[in-house]
Amino acid sequence: MESALSEVERQPSIADGAVRRLDPRVIPLEQLTGWIVTAVVSLVLFFIGATTLLAAPLPSWVKLAIPIVWMGVTVALGWWLQRWPQIHYRYASYIVDAVGIEIREGVVWREVINVPRSRVQHTDVSQGPLERRFGIGTLIIHTAGTEDAIVALHGLAHETALAIRDHLLPREGSDAV
Amino acid sequence: MPSDRRLHPYSLLFGLGKELRQFLIPGLVVLVTAGTAGGDWQAWTLLFLIPYGAAVVIRYAAFRYRYEERELVIRTGFIFRNERHIPYARVQNINAVQNVLHRMLGVVDVHIETGSGQEPEAKMSVLPLDALEEMRRRVLGDRGETAAGPGEAVAQGETALQLLHLSPRELALSGFIDNRGLVVVGAAFGVLYELGLIDGLVNRFVGEQDSGRGLVRQIIRSVFAGGSLPIGRIMLMLGAFAAFLGLIRLLSMIWAVIRLYGFTITRAGDDLRTEFGLLTRVATTIPVRRIQTLTVREGPLHRLFGRVSVRVDTAGGDHKEQGVTQREWLAPILPRANLDTFLRRVQPELDLPAVAWRGVAPRAARRAFVRATVVVSVIALPFWLWPSWWDVAVWVAMIGWAAVVARKTVKHLGWSTTANAVWYRSGWIWRQMSVARFAKIQVVAMHESPFDRRTHMRRVRVDTAGAGDALHHIHIPYLPRETAVDLYDALAASAGGTAFKW
Repeated sequence: MESALSEVERQPSIADGAVRRLDPRVIPLEQLTGWIVTAVVSLVLFFIGATTLLAAPLPSWVKLAIPIVWMGVTVALGWWLQRWPQIHYRYASYIVDAVGIEIREGVVWREVINVPRSRVQHTDVSQGPLERRFGIGTLIIHTAGTEDAIVALHGLAHETALAIRDHLLPREGSDAV
Repeated sequence: MPSDRRLHPYSLLFGLGKELRQFLIPGLVVLVTAGTAGGDWQAWTLLFLIPYGAAVVIRYAAFRYRYEERELVIRTGFIFRNERHIPYARVQNINAVQNVLHRMLGVVDVHIETGSGQEPEAKMSVLPLDALEEMRRRVLGDRGETAAGPGEAVAQGETALQLLHLSPRELALSGFIDNRGLVVVGAAFGVLYELGLIDGLVNRFVGEQDSGRGLVRQIIRSVFAGGSLPIGRIMLMLGAFAAFLGLIRLLSMIWAVIRLYGFTITRAGDDLRTEFGLLTRVATTIPVRRIQTLTVREGPLHRLFGRVSVRVDTAGGDHKEQGVTQREWLAPILPRANLDTFLRRVQPELDLPAVAWRGVAPRAARRAFVRATVVVSVIALPFWLWPSWWDVAVWVAMIGWAAVVARKTVKHLGWSTTANAVWYRSGWIWRQMSVARFAKIQVVAMHESPFDRRTHMRRVRVDTAGAGDALHHIHIPYLPRETAVDLYDALAASAGGTAFKW
């Protein structure tokens, strides 16, 4: 118990009540995911378009339009999925203090959500394979609520996520029994 | 070494019944539709019975329990063995359910509830009645005064206070208002329709072959083609429909009386004990601290008779148990005048007359109206393909109605915070009011949609445990921005400052 305490004292506290942004590395991560999604969607549309082109008897202007539409959709989707992570990053932030955690997210539909420490049932920190490459982790907070039984914060640096998790977990002698 | 006890041998019967219940509907369908098609189905049912029967027997044989000094030990399973220790101190309630068959055979279905949803609990189906008594004596010991069995005398301690007792007349009224029989009857109606019995009945009355099914098609055809409507037959079908609705109400009333017969709720210490049931006798205990959200409902029929109904969401104990549901009646029906006293007796903090209701932003009515108009217009879109004066008139009338509903609904929106709870009421025709104590708030959130942003409003949302199938959540819309922020901060601070105990 004592060594755990001194270790906590040694680390700079995450629970300082300051407004923090997500880790900037989440932007290239999301953009990479965006490329993958664009590639998959583009491939699927390509097959659909190719089969329609070859199989169905259509007027020639439609046959010309199909590849143009496909290219347009691919470019638009690719561009949007590169742009969105930057926009989303600007509008996401969180605050950790002694009482709990508050998460702000959302660009068009905005939401602030507050989870007191005494309401945290347990927490997970998860990392997918891509996230591991970028050093990003997702903090998943389980509460006793119904709509907010799971509150997830994606895009934290892995160490930060671990620090927040340690802070949120009830320690010995806490009042959350 | 304390001796191992087993469940009553009748558990085999009940266990088999439970397993086979899932085959009841398909079995009935097979029986009915096969008709005289062959005797093979007897062999098939036998085949089904064997593995399930074996499973039930093995489960029965492997279930043993014994009373240790401080805990109850339950062992289950042959291949996957499990030993569960339930300390007596952790046991909150021992609930007992008895349906007609249980009562005839002198056994009871026992459910042990502990403090939280995560801790061990036990379901014992079925135990003999004296084993239940022994369990109560050993496990609850001195705390036994808060646990009464089905059919036992209610008041044992001087602190027991009867909050509500419903006579069969009140229960019939509750059934009439709530109309819960619809699902059962609807299902039966569906089956009968499939079997062609409805056609036969109607044929006898009307003497035509396709009176039921073709009627709607005919009506639509005649409306669009401009022909004459079959008035006579419409009247007949409307009459039959009305009679059908009346029948459903009657069945609902009978169902309510049977299901909730002798509904009594008593407060003993920190527990609310409810007892009800004619055929299936249920005695449950709701510790008051397990109440997460309390909702008072008042529909138009309620208002007609001057009644309300009160439900609670509870959490803690076994969430998945079907017999003891999470959404529980505190009062299926209650005279409106008694509501204040009732709430105060359930929990002294629930002081309804002291609530200072606050409204929402002034522009909310306009927003609600715009929203309703959009919905109405979208629904009416197909009709704009063949517009006629009649369609336009209907559309305008619906928009007028939407304006009235929007204004009235927003006027009835109200919220408030008292010293320990947040209150929220909504609805114009169907009114609901929910209250959640600060200690039960899990998560507080504030939303802003783009429409909110334009009108400087926000929505505050409070999440509690066990609100899964609740119809009314504490989501307060159309709050002015500063008010929303203040409310959000206050609720977050209150939730953070209180401990949450299951």
